[in-house]
Amino acid sequence: MKASVLPMNDQERLTRFESELLPLMNDAYNLARWLVKNDQDAHDMVQEAYLRAFKFFGGMRAATSKAWLLRIVRNVCYDHLRERQVPSGASDSNQEELPDADPSPEAALEIKSEIAAVRKALANLPDDFRTVLVLREMEELSYREISEITQVPIGTVMSRLARGRQHLTDLLREMRAKDLL
Amino acid sequence: MNCSDLHECIDPFLDNEVDLTTAQKIQRHLDECAACEGCFASRLALRHCLQTPQLRFVPTADLRARIHAQLQKEIYPPSTHFNWLPRFQFPNWILPTLAGAAAVLIFWFGSAPFLSQLRSSSRANGALIEQLVSNHLRSLAADHLFDVASSDQHTVKPWFAGKLNFSPPVFDLSEHGFKLIGGRLDYVGDIEVAAVIFQHQNHYINLFVWPGNQSNPLPNTIFQREGLNLYGWVANGLTLWAVTDAEPEALKAFVQLEKERMTE
Repeated sequence: MKASVLPMNDQERLTRFESELLPLMNDAYNLARWLVKNDQDAHDMVQEAYLRAFKFFGGMRAATSKAWLLRIVRNVCYDHLRERQVPSGASDSNQEELPDADPSPEAALEIKSEIAAVRKALANLPDDFRTVLVLREMEELSYREISEITQVPIGTVMSRLARGRQHLTDLLREMRAKDLL
Repeated sequence: MNCSDLHECIDPFLDNEVDLTTAQKIQRHLDECAACEGCFASRLALRHCLQTPQLRFVPTADLRARIHAQLQKEIYPPSTHFNWLPRFQFPNWILPTLAGAAAVLIFWFGSAPFLSQLRSSSRANGALIEQLVSNHLRSLAADHLFDVASSDQHTVKPWFAGKLNFSPPVFDLSEHGFKLIGGRLDYVGDIEVAAVIFQHQNHYINLFVWPGNQSNPLPNTIFQREGLNLYGWVANGLTLWAVTDAEPEALKAFVQLEKERMTE
């Protein structure tokens, strides 16, 4: 509150910004990494998001700083994906996360592990579905916060979650069926 | 509530986003219908998987420092590197006094022609040294020691490669007590220079590097200014200046190691 009355110098503004938003860095990174699917790019995305956030800090418009920061992270990542013109979701066959067509014994063993299978299936969901699932299940955000971050109505969040979960369930079933052959 | 109604709201129910009455209706249906209960159980199992910590990605340890360094650069951009001066609040009389003293000195040296050779080189060095001192102090005072924080020469060297048209020497000298801690872009005058930063005990060393040998540093002389020690030399077409608050002996040892590595 004081900030609007007292002029803040740059250093004070930076200190306040960092104490409020740096604790959210791991959440920001997790989202970015799930969206761009590459370590190096995810680090760059988070750095870029913090820079953008700092420029607009003060004019923050969201229920919580977490929702605000994650919205910026999501936008930075989507811009990047659009620039790279990576086709979204299931069609990007060059992703490291994809199971091999002819899996090695080790890879086959890994697919059998539930977590590895879920990781691969989630990586192969279309971006919009993966985004809402990461925000809901890993960040445990409410529909309202997810709607703020993804900038779509709550009804859309709801249907993306339902379809995303169904899609994921089907993908997992498919992977297991292939693995049994 | 029938099965198709339930199918519509099973996700909001799972996410705790339905009102109490709806929740009770759903619960009643789940108790009676094994198929829907199975569907709900598989949703719960999926959630359980998605919430395992192993599915989360964790950034590298230097991300926080990278963000911090970048934001610092945002408020103290390198192009305005003399901006720190007013923040020190010099008394009003000090600049005219210094200018007067400088004029007297220049006049005095100017009247001694036999010193002219020495004068030109030491004056050139003098201006350079003042800049290096202020660069070193500013890098500590503004808490902007590095743009890239890493003790790995294979991280720091490529970082410079994308930003400069020359390649500064980056060696890991930690086994000799000089730990590489990062790199930074800086300016000396209007020349863009690399700053490679080392830590020696509680002291920092800024190694400034830029192409060319025009600065003609006096060979084998350690300069001392404001409690700092400076040493400059030329090697492989590069001008190098090491600036530190460590002891002259430590600086000598550091420079010796750099020279050895550069001739290898």
